[in-house]
Amino acid sequence: MSVAEIVLAPAETKPLRLSGSQPFTQQPGVYIMIGERTNVAGSPKFARLIKEGKYEEAVSIARQQVENGANVLDICMDEGMIDGVAAMTRYLQLLASEPEVAKVPFMVDSSKWEVIEAGLKCLQGKGIVNSISLKEGEERFRKNAAAVLKYGAAVVVMAFDEQGQAATCEDKIRICERAYRILVDEVGFPPEDIIFDPNILTVATGMEEHNNYAVDFINATRWIKANLPHAKVSGGVSNISFSFRGNNKVREAMHSAFLYHAIAAGMDMGIVNAGMLEVYEEIEPELKTMVEDVLLNRRPDATERLVEYGETLKDSGTVATEKKTEEWRNGTVEDRLTHALVKGIDAYIEADTEEARLKLGRPLLVIEGPLMAGMSVVGDLFGAGKMFLPQVVKSARVMKKAVAHLTPFMEAEKEAMAAAGQAVRTQGKIVLATVKGDVHDIGKNIVGVVLACNNYEVIDMGVMVPAEKILERARTEKADIIGLSGLITPSLDEMIHVAREMQRQGFQVPLLIGGATTSRAHTAIKIAPHYSQPIIHIVDASRAVPVTTSLLSEEGKPQFVAQHNAEYESIRKSHSGPRQQTIAIAEARARRTPIEWRAEDIATPEFTGVRVLDNFPLATLREYIDWSPFFHTWELKGIYPRILDDARQGEQARQIFAEGNALLDRIIRENLLTARAVYGFFPANATGDDVELYTDETRTSVLERLHFLRQQANREGSEPCRSLADFIAPKETGLRDYIGGFAVTSGIGLKELVEQFKSQHDDYNAIMAEAIADRLAEAFAECLHQRVRREWGYGRDENLSSEDLIKERYRGIRPAPGYPGSPDHTEKGTLWRLLDAQAKTGMILTESFAMWPGSSVSGFYFAHPEARYFSLGKIGRDQVADYQQRKGMSLPEVERWLSPNLNYESER
Amino acid sequence: MKTVPQHPLEKILENRIAIIDGAMGTTIRTYGKTEADIRGERFKDSKKDLLNNGDLFSLTQPEMICDIHRRFLEAGADIIETNTFGATSISQSEFFVDDPREHGGRKDPEFYQKIIEDASLNDLAWEINEQSARQCRELADRVGTATGRQRFVAGSIGPLTVSLSNSPDADDPGFRVVTFDQVKAAYIHQIRALIAGGSDLLIVETIFDSLNAKAALVAIREVFDQDGKELPIMISAAVGRGGETMISAQTVEAFWNAVQHVKPLSIGLNCSLGPDLMYPFLEELAGKADVAISAYPNAGLPNPLSDTGFDLGPADMARFLGDFATGGLINIAGGCCGNTPEHIAAIAKALEGQPPRRFGRIEVTA
Repeated sequence: MSVAEIVLAPAETKPLRLSGSQPFTQQPGVYIMIGERTNVAGSPKFARLIKEGKYEEAVSIARQQVENGANVLDICMDEGMIDGVAAMTRYLQLLASEPEVAKVPFMVDSSKWEVIEAGLKCLQGKGIVNSISLKEGEERFRKNAAAVLKYGAAVVVMAFDEQGQAATCEDKIRICERAYRILVDEVGFPPEDIIFDPNILTVATGMEEHNNYAVDFINATRWIKANLPHAKVSGGVSNISFSFRGNNKVREAMHSAFLYHAIAAGMDMGIVNAGMLEVYEEIEPELKTMVEDVLLNRRPDATERLVEYGETLKDSGTVATEKKTEEWRNGTVEDRLTHALVKGIDAYIEADTEEARLKLGRPLLVIEGPLMAGMSVVGDLFGAGKMFLPQVVKSARVMKKAVAHLTPFMEAEKEAMAAAGQAVRTQGKIVLATVKGDVHDIGKNIVGVVLACNNYEVIDMGVMVPAEKILERARTEKADIIGLSGLITPSLDEMIHVAREMQRQGFQVPLLIGGATTSRAHTAIKIAPHYSQPIIHIVDASRAVPVTTSLLSEEGKPQFVAQHNAEYESIRKSHSGPRQQTIAIAEARARRTPIEWRAEDIATPEFTGVRVLDNFPLATLREYIDWSPFFHTWELKGIYPRILDDARQGEQARQIFAEGNALLDRIIRENLLTARAVYGFFPANATGDDVELYTDETRTSVLERLHFLRQQANREGSEPCRSLADFIAPKETGLRDYIGGFAVTSGIGLKELVEQFKSQHDDYNAIMAEAIADRLAEAFAECLHQRVRREWGYGRDENLSSEDLIKERYRGIRPAPGYPGSPDHTEKGTLWRLLDAQAKTGMILTESFAMWPGSSVSGFYFAHPEARYFSLGKIGRDQVADYQQRKGMSLPEVERWLSPNLNYESER
Repeated sequence: MKTVPQHPLEKILENRIAIIDGAMGTTIRTYGKTEADIRGERFKDSKKDLLNNGDLFSLTQPEMICDIHRRFLEAGADIIETNTFGATSISQSEFFVDDPREHGGRKDPEFYQKIIEDASLNDLAWEINEQSARQCRELADRVGTATGRQRFVAGSIGPLTVSLSNSPDADDPGFRVVTFDQVKAAYIHQIRALIAGGSDLLIVETIFDSLNAKAALVAIREVFDQDGKELPIMISAAVGRGGETMISAQTVEAFWNAVQHVKPLSIGLNCSLGPDLMYPFLEELAGKADVAISAYPNAGLPNPLSDTGFDLGPADMARFLGDFATGGLINIAGGCCGNTPEHIAAIAKALEGQPPRRFGRIEVTA
């Protein structure tokens, strides 16, 4: 074969098309990078991990290669001690669950057919089989090729036949051509999917017949590309330099120079450790010349010259940098821990923590030293507004993993110390709980995470925790601080109860109060007087650490507490001033919402009674999500979508938005949450401030009675004193009106999902899951309201955008019991009876009338065009007394439920 | 290389847009059948609810199913699908076998090995497939003769209730409940029965998980090779909003690369998305694949707020699929969930006279 015989490749060569979860198309003239660190023959580390069954770590090697730009991953389990079929299957199934890795095509590499077939059974995309050959004859070759085609993979064909491996150019060409004809003409294999490996054999062995091996490969490559249409060429590049094992400088230069010439001849891809490649242009000229002399067989003494020259380079030999992203890995273990914490990278945290533990001797020193130092950087950045909450939570996740690693060592140490009679004391211990009757805990979880970041030991007792449990735990744990959280108004009372109990039981530790309905004023006025130690309201997570730090600092505490007490005292003083003006309830009733009752304003629903929607499609709900509150959860203040472009918070907002949506995608794809609703319409008429619901259209038998309250305070001029009862036609009008009710939840499955994340020390996603579920619940309420308006008739011709929906530009309202217009949570009990909500949806009401599971919304529907939201405000003693009669509840009980609205001090 | 004589359907596809039928499941619902109806005498003592096992209707309420097939044919469908979406031993086991998870056990390859070896499940699966194919055959031929237009029966091969790509065990992402070979075995059985009942072609559809689909395609290849018979294959994936298969998250181009070797009669998208959302992915597929393109989307998104359970009515579907045709994207059109015979009639009418997408293997002369 001489160069003269070589003709040019056809102009249009079909590219090799492959896929993982993403497509991969070979670009003309661009060399395909095949990652080879997932090959037991190519990577001793990978081999060790597989043999030791450490598949998870082995997966991270694959991830690293994809990050480093590998287009295809070569996976090989051919090793005497490894069960190839089992290892190939398990590894590929694990990779399938790693989205970042699964996107690339895989090369299933084995000399055993059963391992190849096992691998093919795991590939959803189009991979490459490496390899088949004519070694065992045509029949076997044909059969295997047909099987590869059946599974839909490309194939590497080794230049090997019954006589053995092709070494010379002529043999390579002969075997490849024969294989090509069988594949294309007999098996029907797509020619563009055939990849020849014409054997890269070792040069510079000292044997004269080996000197032309590189040239033979290059020439065979050129011939194949010119004469076997669409076929591709590949090879194992590191073979070429085996003679120079131990001399990486020479090897790297040889690989680069070889590839340079082979690619020019048409080689499409190769298996080579990217870390073992020098840039061709940067090979020093003298070395380059000598290497090329060897490769291109340009002079008989080329080998001796390179060997001799190579000796002089040996000591300076370096393995080229394998990692582009991982420079920080070169720092000290302390630097690496700080970096990992600040960046929220958990990939190496366990190894680094362990290294630090060995270095520092004691696990506690790791926490107090490098981990605390790292977290204080996080804390400083957060405090300075240079880091945002989501990043802090990610940092906390890394911290948690580090601490989880150290915990067993600390336990052991503690036991040893206790045995030696020494007292054990940690930095600062905080017991957190959402109080009895309340289920909301996102805010509490965030505070817990932020505190944990600052090296407090946080004992999170979860939700619906009774006072006695909280206090018992605080005592046994010798907690330094107790923190209470709650979202619904009845929780405020429960917090007072906890404070009283702390006083009674002689507690001496500070109490923190937080949660959506809590306030500084309420804390100062209602809770603080019941306990002689500091009770401090925490407005958001970013305030938690400054407060706890002051409270636990010996020097700082007295001043902080004094200042705090003075502040609360002044709040109490200003509050004890003149009350708001209220008018008498009789007068208020005379000033009800002025509505002229007309039949045409009354809509009649399609049905009365109750309906259930189970397994409502989450994908539909997604369309109804109002995202702004999602950002508020993460303490990013602004309106969606503008917040995404906000100069200060935009980047962070975009990131949590993307990550929130990714989790939402997953929730939808894997059906991790279930949405369920119950709703109904009932014939109804108002009688005074009550609304009677009837069993049927005869309106003779009362099914339930709803009790509403009326505005009494600060009614200036002719402003009406509204009550929700005003929006239902009074009985005396004779009009047949209706009221609706609903309860929706998207929280079914949430607990499991959150616990799963928590068990992985992933608070970030745990909080994200709750935030998303809350959004879905609100979206569900909005979506259901739209349906209800249609079924009620008056909403059929609505044509509203999602912004319109968010801004509630539609007729009718859906106020919830317990919220400003109707603050009495106990009315939810009536709603539950009406809807038979517990039986129909599994949603239950706690003793404080919080809905369980969380991520639930309920309320009443009012359809009248004049119906609108309002806030009740303060009410007087006269209305409370009347209400107590109507409800048939004791006065103290009613006052307890309405305490935030009372315009007077109750007797309790 | 063998040259396969051109299938009559291929000829049609070159000249006009062929019509495939609408949804069986949602159309069945309009007949208001009850649990007692699907059970009939034969399954009256079944322990689990069967109403969602719509394939069984082909055995217990053949008149209704045949009525639906007939209505789709009369609405203008060139291709009707057998009512066998879930007619494999694996999918049927959901309705007839105790769930081990209810007794603290789990579903795993050991469990599914028993399923695919279960004679009664296999017999049931065979019967559904063969019967349904026969019913379709008879109606397709009858209506075909009456109207002077040949009609075709596509043996429907559904996605299964198990995934080869996903682990249900959060602690072990490498775990799979079932093996490739088990899935393949279940499909082989189904495919043979569909062919025995007289199917003209096979359609691997509503592909959520590309690896399940690959097992079906390997099964088809093996049946063809062993039985010496070859039918055209249609392939249709169900993608989500990102244009990725719903379970295995594979993009449409990646998916096409993975199934191209089968040389299908058509590749396309169905179910999952409504036609509006499907458009860009269909366009992508049409730009990559050199075979016929099929599209039979849902009638919009599932929307319990609407009467049919789906967003779009016949006129909407006709308009959207008309847009596909105007865009030069399709060769086969129809509907999935929420599409009744009325929808199909509207689609057929809208696409009448519309030119099909031009396609053909690009031959490179070497």
